[in-house]
Amino acid sequence: MWSPYKRRIKRDLDRWQSMGWVSGESRAAILADVEASGREFGLAPALGVIASILFGFAAISFVAAHWQEMPRLGRLMLLLATIWSGYGAAGWLNTRGLAQFADAAILFAVGMFGASIMLISQMYNIGGDPADGVLMWWIGALFAGIALRSNPALALAMILVCLWSFFETSQRHAVHWAFLIGWFMVTAAFIWQRWQPGFHLSALTLAAFVVSLGYQLDDGHQHDLVVLIGVIAAGAAVALEKFRPDVDAALGHFASPSFAYALAVALAGLFALQFFETPPLGKLIALAAVALILILAGIAYALSTGNRGALWIGYIGFSAEILTLYGVTIGTILGTSLFFLIAAMIVSLLAYVALRLARQSASTGRPA
Amino acid sequence: MISNRKLIWPLLALVAIVQSAALFDMVRARDSLLKSGREITLAVQPVDPRDIFRGDYVTLGYDISRLKTPNAQTDFPPGAASVGSDVYVTLAGATDGSWTLTRVGSAYPSAVAPGETVLKGRVNSIWRDESAGQTFINVRYGIENYFVPEGTGRVLEDKVRSHEIKAIVAVATDGTAALKGLIVDGERHEDPPLL
Repeated sequence: MWSPYKRRIKRDLDRWQSMGWVSGESRAAILADVEASGREFGLAPALGVIASILFGFAAISFVAAHWQEMPRLGRLMLLLATIWSGYGAAGWLNTRGLAQFADAAILFAVGMFGASIMLISQMYNIGGDPADGVLMWWIGALFAGIALRSNPALALAMILVCLWSFFETSQRHAVHWAFLIGWFMVTAAFIWQRWQPGFHLSALTLAAFVVSLGYQLDDGHQHDLVVLIGVIAAGAAVALEKFRPDVDAALGHFASPSFAYALAVALAGLFALQFFETPPLGKLIALAAVALILILAGIAYALSTGNRGALWIGYIGFSAEILTLYGVTIGTILGTSLFFLIAAMIVSLLAYVALRLARQSASTGRPA
Repeated sequence: MISNRKLIWPLLALVAIVQSAALFDMVRARDSLLKSGREITLAVQPVDPRDIFRGDYVTLGYDISRLKTPNAQTDFPPGAASVGSDVYVTLAGATDGSWTLTRVGSAYPSAVAPGETVLKGRVNSIWRDESAGQTFINVRYGIENYFVPEGTGRVLEDKVRSHEIKAIVAVATDGTAALKGLIVDGERHEDPPLL
């Protein structure tokens, strides 16, 4: 658990105790449970991961600096030795009960695997096609992540899938659909591991891919599709949360963050339609209205379900929408005063919705 | 991290072996191409330098890096080329050791004369000159980068500029090319095979 939660429950417990609802014993028991439950992502393992990354860089620069003095077979052996020592350290740390440090050692070994690919490419003058090297790297990272059930290695695999796709896209100037294969494989591993941060990484990368489709398909004018995908995904997340909470629970309550990502995708698409496509004024107004309705609906839904992420996406989307509209409409027929009138009406509507929700939650006893 | 104590060492060893084998296979495949591939030498054209990932290297350009279509020898209609698609160029060897372009196609040629060799490349960029009715196709063969010790790239590049350099290229039977080494001022620079 994150420490803000700890701080808050402590404050609440103090209050409840002073009101006589909780005894001193119960307070201690609850705090002990909070302390024990959930894996604390402490400073030490975080530093361990950072240290392993630094070790990796140190090893690469050492090898690169002494490259010329070493026979080529020696270079290869040295690279293999660093990989093996990483996995050896992981095993040793794991048997001593330091699982998180073992993960850091695995991350180091997987990083050295990638460095070895780069350095062997250099040895054989294979240049200009980094995508193939990164493809080999992410497959190796995914394999290590699955075999050793190491979440950091899986996270690295997902980042490498994105890097691979980026190289392929910039080389071929076409949508790199194979990204979805890599994405699906790493995501399946995340689901198997039931690792929440991994789900977020998957959702974030997929959202970025969908948004990028708008700029790639049909010569970069396919933002309607992005909006459509975002709206459908948001609708599916709402339906899952409302009608099949059992399924949602089985999936690790992922409907709520999914809604936030889907909303962000839909808004990104609408933003591009309004401000990158330069539509005629009438269409711009219609699109802006759609965007604002979607934002308000998103905010309202986020408030009613306590979805913090979606709430922030809504607020940020609202600010971006209003500010950009303001910039675009200055000097047009629409005029600045009319713009402010519309904005004021929207904010009033927002206030009204908030009031309604506050009343509703007061009557049901649920906090807004 | 996996929690089963019994399995941890075998699994760690498995991952280490698989990754090492993958790297070893990369070395083996390249080594065998360098050893068994047909050796040709190509004149080098100067291009610009440096790769942020891998320290110093020299970028090499060749006559066959920039193809012009339509021309007499090509069965490669300008419309057929798209960025990322494969290109096969056929080179004919002359008695003085130089190789000249004889054909360009989008598939491996069905008949190759004994004195000819085929290189496989990938279209990197396309530039159409509407007024002249010509298309220029920039092709990469995977032999464009030569890695050098840090700080020595500049010297080599000057030599590339003054045309004192030739590239030694190994070509596999499927057309895959690998840069074997350089001939600088008539002197061969090449690393011996590893395995």
